[in-house]
Amino acid sequence: MSESPQLTYGEIDRTVLDTLRPPTGGYWLVIMVLILGVLLGAACWVYQIFVGIGAGGQNIPVAWGTYLINFVFWVGIANSGTLISAILYLFRAGWRNPIARAAETMTVFAVSIAGLFPFIHLGRIWIVYYMLPYPNQRYLWPNFQSPLVFDVVAISTYLTVSSLFWYTGLIPDLAAVRDKATGVRKKIFTILSLGWTGKHEQWRHYTRGYLFFAALATPLVVSVHSVVSWDFALSVVPGWHSTIFAPYFVAGAIHSGLAMVLTLMIPLRKIFRYERILTMKILEAVAKTIIFTGLIVGYAYAVEYFLAWYSHNAVEMEAFRWRALGDYSLEFWIMVGCNSLVPLLFFFKRIRTSIPWLLGISILINVGMWYERFVIIVGSVAHGFIPHAWGLYRPSAIEFGIMLGAFSLFLLFFLLFLKHLPSISMTEMKETLDHGGDHGD
Amino acid sequence: MEGTMATDISVIGLFSDEQKTAAVIEDMSGYPWQIDRVHSPFPSHKIFDALKLKKSPVGWFTLVGGILGFFTGFGLAIYTALEWKLIVWGKPIVAWIPFVIVGFECTILFSVFANVLGLIVLGNLPDYKGLEKYDTRCSADHFGIVVSCEEEEQEQVLEFFKNNGGEARVFE
Repeated sequence: MSESPQLTYGEIDRTVLDTLRPPTGGYWLVIMVLILGVLLGAACWVYQIFVGIGAGGQNIPVAWGTYLINFVFWVGIANSGTLISAILYLFRAGWRNPIARAAETMTVFAVSIAGLFPFIHLGRIWIVYYMLPYPNQRYLWPNFQSPLVFDVVAISTYLTVSSLFWYTGLIPDLAAVRDKATGVRKKIFTILSLGWTGKHEQWRHYTRGYLFFAALATPLVVSVHSVVSWDFALSVVPGWHSTIFAPYFVAGAIHSGLAMVLTLMIPLRKIFRYERILTMKILEAVAKTIIFTGLIVGYAYAVEYFLAWYSHNAVEMEAFRWRALGDYSLEFWIMVGCNSLVPLLFFFKRIRTSIPWLLGISILINVGMWYERFVIIVGSVAHGFIPHAWGLYRPSAIEFGIMLGAFSLFLLFFLLFLKHLPSISMTEMKETLDHGGDHGD
Repeated sequence: MEGTMATDISVIGLFSDEQKTAAVIEDMSGYPWQIDRVHSPFPSHKIFDALKLKKSPVGWFTLVGGILGFFTGFGLAIYTALEWKLIVWGKPIVAWIPFVIVGFECTILFSVFANVLGLIVLGNLPDYKGLEKYDTRCSADHFGIVVSCEEEEQEQVLEFFKNNGGEARVFE
């Protein structure tokens, strides 16, 4: 990177705007495959609505299966987008700029997908409005002491705030696209950019407002996954009832989100020839942060065992013994290996500067984080207080179909975004150049 | 600087360098023309300093929104709990600790709404009319200083921009 000549404003625009050219046939083929995946998921959901929630494999004692696993997984993915865009913005970490837009977009789509799962899990979707605080003749309101209602409030706030944050960040770039566009496209981008001209009065308010956005989004991102963790921690189930859950979930969410950023950005870098913008130093910075979050997650796993042992509570001790050695031990060791041990490979510079290793490890972390949610959600209730209530769970084909649909929907949204909106913030990249050049530092 | 003079003549000087743009703005203080606006492809603190801009008051919108949100969140939770006095988990009807979550989330939500409102109101958005006298290079790689002047000063302004290494033209 340091040998190559400094980027220019014009080069940044050209590189990013080139990505918005009409796509090739291969792109549409992938879009078609993803639409088929979405339709399959939708068909499974419709089938479940007609047949009943029993179409899924969830039953007593494991009443929360893949629907809740996927819910927590996608909220976790969503968390890191705001971490990168807001928290690193406040810390003035220059390496965030080339990945912030994609991470914010990932947040908006991931939290939308996450929000679908409670609806899917409801079964009787048509009475979802019971969760809304609206005046009614029966004086029945949502119970604001319930962690499930905390979730409704937190997730809907997060979706609203992250969408507004994303759109606000896009406005100057939408204006840049407008100024290069012609015909109908120009008209659309004129409306979307709100007539932005980048005059000093607009920037004066924008920079201040964006700073407040970041400052407000930062505590929100911490609160959202803490609230998700309280869905579990506020119960008395062994393995769930723990004070470590909020920071443990937040760290895990950031861990998975950073891994997802790598998984998405590495192919993007290759396909869109972003090598000069999305430098190896940036990917390395993400990898180093993953080491840090991986160590926190590993520490949390260890502390859970310490707390179980230190409590001298027989049920708690048995729950954790069974996690490592019982029916779901394979899932447990996948979790430990992928989330805590594999990321340690990033200590080696040769590995964290190798694209295949970065991509491979990021995918493994995503797999590990999905299994972490499996171990927590399924493992705890499957082996609770009394042996009489123990039971195992395997997801049904309907659940797999819905899960496939969710992943397809996420990728579909993301691919549509890539070809229609600037996937790297041109404004922030130019600002970074202005502040001293090497954005990878 | 903020207002325009009673004339229709607007001249834009385009520069490709941020530092140069800031220097030109500072040099203009010795001339009678008024800087109407300065366009830039990204927020430039050098230009802000040259224009001696004050901090934006958008934070007041955010603060008011936050206060409203705090009371709305707590108010909603308390009001609904009092509407149907159902004891849950042995906690008091008005249970402050769980209501902090609702209060907190509403504080953030309303602050953000008010922040966006502040950006829209103060930034005068949407501003489609502003596109009529605008050079599209200002969103890419140029900085544009737009000056309002009397008709007889027009040539002098054009000359000034050109002498400073810029490109200049009159908006029709």
